Amino acid sequence: METQSEEQAVTKPADSGGEGGPPQVAGAQAVRPEDRMTLLLRLRAQTKQQLLEYKSMVDARKDFHFQIRFCEFDDEHKIEELENEVEEAKTAFEMKKLALDRMQLSTALKKHLEKVDIKTSVLMNNMKQILNLNKLIMKSQQETWDLEEKLLDVRKKRLQLKQASERKLSEIQTEKNKQKDDLDSMENSDKIKTIQQKLETEIQITTVIQHVFQNLILGSKVNWAEDPALKETVLQLEKNLTMI
Amino acid sequence: MSVLRPLDRLPGLNTATILLVGTEDALLQQLADSMLKEDCTSELKVHLARSLPLPCSVNRPRIDLIVFVVNLHSKHSLQSVEESLCHLDAAFFLGKVAFLATGAGRDSHCSIHRNTVVKLAHTYRSPLLFCDLEIEDFRAAMAQRLVRLLQICAGHVPGVSALNLLSLLRGSENPSLEDL
Repeated sequence: METQSEEQAVTKPADSGGEGGPPQVAGAQAVRPEDRMTLLLRLRAQTKQQLLEYKSMVDARKDFHFQIRFCEFDDEHKIEELENEVEEAKTAFEMKKLALDRMQLSTALKKHLEKVDIKTSVLMNNMKQILNLNKLIMKSQQETWDLEEKLLDVRKKRLQLKQASERKLSEIQTEKNKQKDDLDSMENSDKIKTIQQKLETEIQITTVIQHVFQNLILGSKVNWAEDPALKETVLQLEKNLTMI
Repeated sequence: MSVLRPLDRLPGLNTATILLVGTEDALLQQLADSMLKEDCTSELKVHLARSLPLPCSVNRPRIDLIVFVVNLHSKHSLQSVEESLCHLDAAFFLGKVAFLATGAGRDSHCSIHRNTVVKLAHTYRSPLLFCDLEIEDFRAAMAQRLVRLLQICAGHVPGVSALNLLSLLRGSENPSLEDL
């Protein structure tokens, strides 16, 4: 049982801009035949296109190959292959059209140049302008290239200087470290220790001798403050040798 | 069983017919009105249907473009569209079918995932359009697009055929499909 479905149709009358239908007949008889002409041309183009579509469909169905292929639409790959074929045909057509257009353009240009006086034509002026601009462009490009080269050189030099200063600084650093190490090692060396010990023993001996002399002079109960030489000697004995 | 075929009738002069298929009558009617308001040099005819197959008793002109409207808020619309797709001749899918998904704006109401519709469109190799038909401006823009599509599918634009347009529209879709 066929499912009945509702169908509604809505239509709109032709809305062609200058067609003679609507009551704008006021004069302008010359306008109407021209608009009719455009209408006819448009309809002609339409019919041509539709005819092309029908023809291609008829040709396709006649083709046995097409019939076979038409049934094989379950495979994704096949479908994509066919789509690619369509795309390739389209691009090939576009390329050919482009080449054809170019050839047409060049012949038209050639013919035009043959006809026209070369010195005054607008086309030649344009071409000359284009050439001048191109020369300018090339010159400025060359200048920019040179400037960039200079910039690059300056940068290279800066980099080199930086590297040299880095090296120098690191050398200074190593020298300082070496000095510090030498100093430390020197302080810790045994030589100095023995010398220090000897010094200490000498100081102790001298201090003992000082004390002995002091006691001698004091023990002799001599008034040492009267004699300047003796006074000096006593004061000298007071010097604490460990502070030196 | 009436299977709809694309080129079984001769075209009317300067006439282009579009068939909108969907379960949401109000939306279809609104879209039809917007389309008819568009400025177009050809005569437009808009047919609305809930589902295919169409009753063959009616004398109708050649259908140039079929748009299936799927409402992302209702699973029923997707189901009915899927059922209707069986009643179409395979030649229709050479550019004369388009899918329109509406209701994507309100994500909380969506019961159909976006990818479902994308997969459907990919299976049938047809372009998928998104539009919130409830919003006036979007609807007007979509109506404009559909009118142009229709003109091309009806053959009113010299130099561009429906198949040509199909491969043009396909170019932008592929990157997203690789994620699927």
